[in-house]
Amino acid sequence: MKKLFLTVTAIAIFSTLSIAQSRTLPSVDVKTLNGGTINITTLENDGNPIVISFWATWCKPCKKELNNIAELYEDWQDETGVKLVAISIDDTRSMVRVAPYINASDWDYEVYLDPNGDLKRAMGVSTVPHTFLLNSKKEIVWQHKGYIDGDEDELYEQIEKIAK
Amino acid sequence: MMRKISLTLSAACLTIICFPQDNSGEIHGDFDLNMQSYQEDKLIGAEPADEIILNNAYLNINYTKGDFSAGLRYESYLNALLDFDDEYKGNGIMFRYATYTIDGLEVTAGNYYEQIGSGLIFRSYENKGLGQDNAMDGVRLKYLPLKGVYLKGFIGKSRTYFTYSDGIIRGADAEINVNEALNLESKTRIIVGQGFVSRFQPDINPKFKLPQNVAAYSSRLNIINGGWNYSGEYAIKLNDPIGSLTAEGNNYANGNALMSSLTYSQRGFGIVAEMHRVDHMEFRSERAQEKQYIINYIPTLTKQHTYTLLALYPCATQPEGEFGTQVDVFYKIKKGSLLGGKYGTKISFNFSRINALNGGNSFLNDNSEHTPMFISIKGEELYFRDLNLEIYKKINKKIKATGILAKQSYNKDVLEGKTTYGTVESTIAIADISYKIKKGHTIRIELQELLADGGDGSWSMGLVEYTVSPHWFFAVQDMYNWGNHDLEKQLHYVNIDCGFLSGSNRFAIGYGKKRAGIFCVGGVCKEVPSSNGFSLTISSSF
Amino acid sequence: MKNIITLFSFILIITSCDVVEGPYEIDTGDVTPTDTNTYVKKILIEDFTGHTCSNCPTAARELEAIHDLYGDQIIGMALHVSSFAAPHTGSGKFEYDFRTQWGNSWSNFFGISALPSGMVNRIGYPNEHKLGKDEWLAAAITELEKEIDFGISIISDVNGDNGTITINTELLNDVNGDYKLVVCLTESNIINWQKDGTEDVENYEHNHALRTVLIDESLSTTTSYTLGDEIETPITFNLITLEQANIDYSTSQGGAGNAGGWDASNMSVIAYIYDNTTKEIVQVEEADLNN
Repeated sequence: MKKLFLTVTAIAIFSTLSIAQSRTLPSVDVKTLNGGTINITTLENDGNPIVISFWATWCKPCKKELNNIAELYEDWQDETGVKLVAISIDDTRSMVRVAPYINASDWDYEVYLDPNGDLKRAMGVSTVPHTFLLNSKKEIVWQHKGYIDGDEDELYEQIEKIAK
Repeated sequence: MMRKISLTLSAACLTIICFPQDNSGEIHGDFDLNMQSYQEDKLIGAEPADEIILNNAYLNINYTKGDFSAGLRYESYLNALLDFDDEYKGNGIMFRYATYTIDGLEVTAGNYYEQIGSGLIFRSYENKGLGQDNAMDGVRLKYLPLKGVYLKGFIGKSRTYFTYSDGIIRGADAEINVNEALNLESKTRIIVGQGFVSRFQPDINPKFKLPQNVAAYSSRLNIINGGWNYSGEYAIKLNDPIGSLTAEGNNYANGNALMSSLTYSQRGFGIVAEMHRVDHMEFRSERAQEKQYIINYIPTLTKQHTYTLLALYPCATQPEGEFGTQVDVFYKIKKGSLLGGKYGTKISFNFSRINALNGGNSFLNDNSEHTPMFISIKGEELYFRDLNLEIYKKINKKIKATGILAKQSYNKDVLEGKTTYGTVESTIAIADISYKIKKGHTIRIELQELLADGGDGSWSMGLVEYTVSPHWFFAVQDMYNWGNHDLEKQLHYVNIDCGFLSGSNRFAIGYGKKRAGIFCVGGVCKEVPSSNGFSLTISSSF
Repeated sequence: MKNIITLFSFILIITSCDVVEGPYEIDTGDVTPTDTNTYVKKILIEDFTGHTCSNCPTAARELEAIHDLYGDQIIGMALHVSSFAAPHTGSGKFEYDFRTQWGNSWSNFFGISALPSGMVNRIGYPNEHKLGKDEWLAAAITELEKEIDFGISIISDVNGDNGTITINTELLNDVNGDYKLVVCLTESNIINWQKDGTEDVENYEHNHALRTVLIDESLSTTTSYTLGDEIETPITFNLITLEQANIDYSTSQGGAGNAGGWDASNMSVIAYIYDNTTKEIVQVEEADLNN
């Protein structure tokens, strides 16, 4: 009973909190595919929407999401100027496969690596896929856990809402 | 404890109300709950839990304001799920920290996670699904003295369940991005790094001389040129005897590990070739050889499989000694070509092979000394071999299909620390087809087959998953051990799962039987006992 | 300036390492404490093991080494539990059944899962009582320095298959608490199969294997003891009955009942007193079955 109470309270409060405040990107470093290090707050897209998607080479729904969006990406970019940034949480075991996998999949996304989960933890991501949508002020306005075939349509609706 | 939590949450809400439009302070977090019921099931050997239901829950809260951030994590194990070590008992705030950044210097006090290089000498990380959490408690500094030079230093104790290790861990790391530091505009990029870790533990052993400060060093190099990428890391660990009272228990030899990988990728094609050699390289926060003290990470050199039957016999790195190689090839057959079809076809090929070191790992004590050959493949005991091919094709607007064929060899005795099982040879075939019924409604069918003689014989698995975007999923699966040599163990493991996702919330419930097995991520495995019952998962972010 | 200071502190960290040179073994001399009192602090090290557990013999050897160092103050007990102790009936190897109902229930109560695993006087319960073999020495050193409140002496006699044991407990201090007394029989020098590392050893010497628990009850009806109190606990038993109980237990667990063949001349009595609130063992004593 106590557990149920805790759960219900928690969810009620979280829902309130998600509406109540604006949310910016945390100041955390990620690695580039070129061995460099950048701070995630330096992401830019000329005021257009940015989608940040956490994925891993071992996560089937993540790959499904990014593959499905890849087919629509060019159209999305033409219409809204959106940029998709894919953050891979692959650790040392599978990190080396990220670049070859992306190239072989023909993805045009900006990809960064978060091998020890620093950005993942800072953004409250527990399971992947987890997708965030940022508006022109780089504030997080929408997020979604998991991926089901067809979710890209809902994502696009959200992007269109905030595109200028 | 519950009142404390309600108070913390109320305080968080109040803070939000006080600063509604002001961007100066933000509070965010996430919540996870995992509850399972355990009924007795003599057929599959599932033990009932005295508590009937077991529950793990976590709540993370982070507060950020400008260059300052602080946060905590509350963990609750009442009691921990059976696949977790039962030292996880009770409730507590097991993670709290405060960080600030000023003039290029970042200071963290409290708990933190950190990795040096690829983790060969030090990796403090968490993976809740595995029950893995060796967070550090202490102080960490990060500093950028010049462009392209990244320095890190830390000191602390590592977490073991609800307490911290005896040993004091100190570490430092320097990484130089040569192109950035020297302002070179070159097509070739070079990154070098050097890391150091040491552990202090007093010597109370009356019979053997033990080093009190045990050190490990690692050097790494990364060279990138166009589509080519070479990455290598070499680590050594100086004398690290476990502190036994028996002569053969104390190994004073230096440990070492080498990881090397070369990749080439271009549009539509990628190839990866890796090798690693590990020799007596487990590094712990205490001398005692127990898994909760491990503070380094030697990744398993095999493909991380996601399909159940491909991961039925997972490989785990043997830190005392192994030699391994792995090759991956990714290729996309172009759209429009004969084999590619209308949308293109993706092919992934993977081969990995792990074997023992010649004569075992390095050993040194008063009575004997051994150093294995550097490269030795032929004639050494095979630990694991995996050969697999995956083909993915979008057949038309409605149908997508994946086909996999694999052949694996799994040395159950060595990899599970058991006896009399030998090596299990298995051949696996998988078909995964998804069909889009109409907008938002998709049905997916998975058929898996594993043919083997050893272990518990052959298995079949079928899964049907129906999803309705954007909110619902429903799945039924059955794993059938039709090839078990023991007629009584030829059982069906049926599971039903369904869930609801909305925004940043996810709810899932399931019911069914789970087979006992080993669940591995990276080089860390945990044994999962068989179970029969309900499961409930709730996760949320804010 | 700030740069130099920060860089210097990083460099300082790097100097913290030791390298020791051989020979590594040092001459300990006689570490056994010379205590002229009648009663000294003794500790019980429980070693959960199994005959197909390849890493377990190293734990047994560690226990022997601790015993060699500290003598009679270290009392060992081997409890054969879990699937690693299950007999492989019909295979020609590992056919003996060392399991007992008490080994099983204690292993469940204390949450023993991975082997080898042990407890030193059961300290650290409920979260930190399971100790790996490399942690027994440190725990033993700490325990040996503790004061004792109880002194135990054992008189044991066996005639044919019938035996009598008298446990005499003497209070060395005024003590309050809920204490329980447990008396067990263990057998050493059992020659049978054991997996040791990568080898299957046919003639392995199994020592201090738990055979039976004679009593596990409150030390006395009171919870308040005075210095000088003496408590006498008499026990009578029949070895054949006890042996049959183990054989029956073996068959009930799917074994073939191959749990007999006890040799009374290799058996010992272990008596220990534990605090029922903390589960900590406060005193233990061992004696030959026929003394």
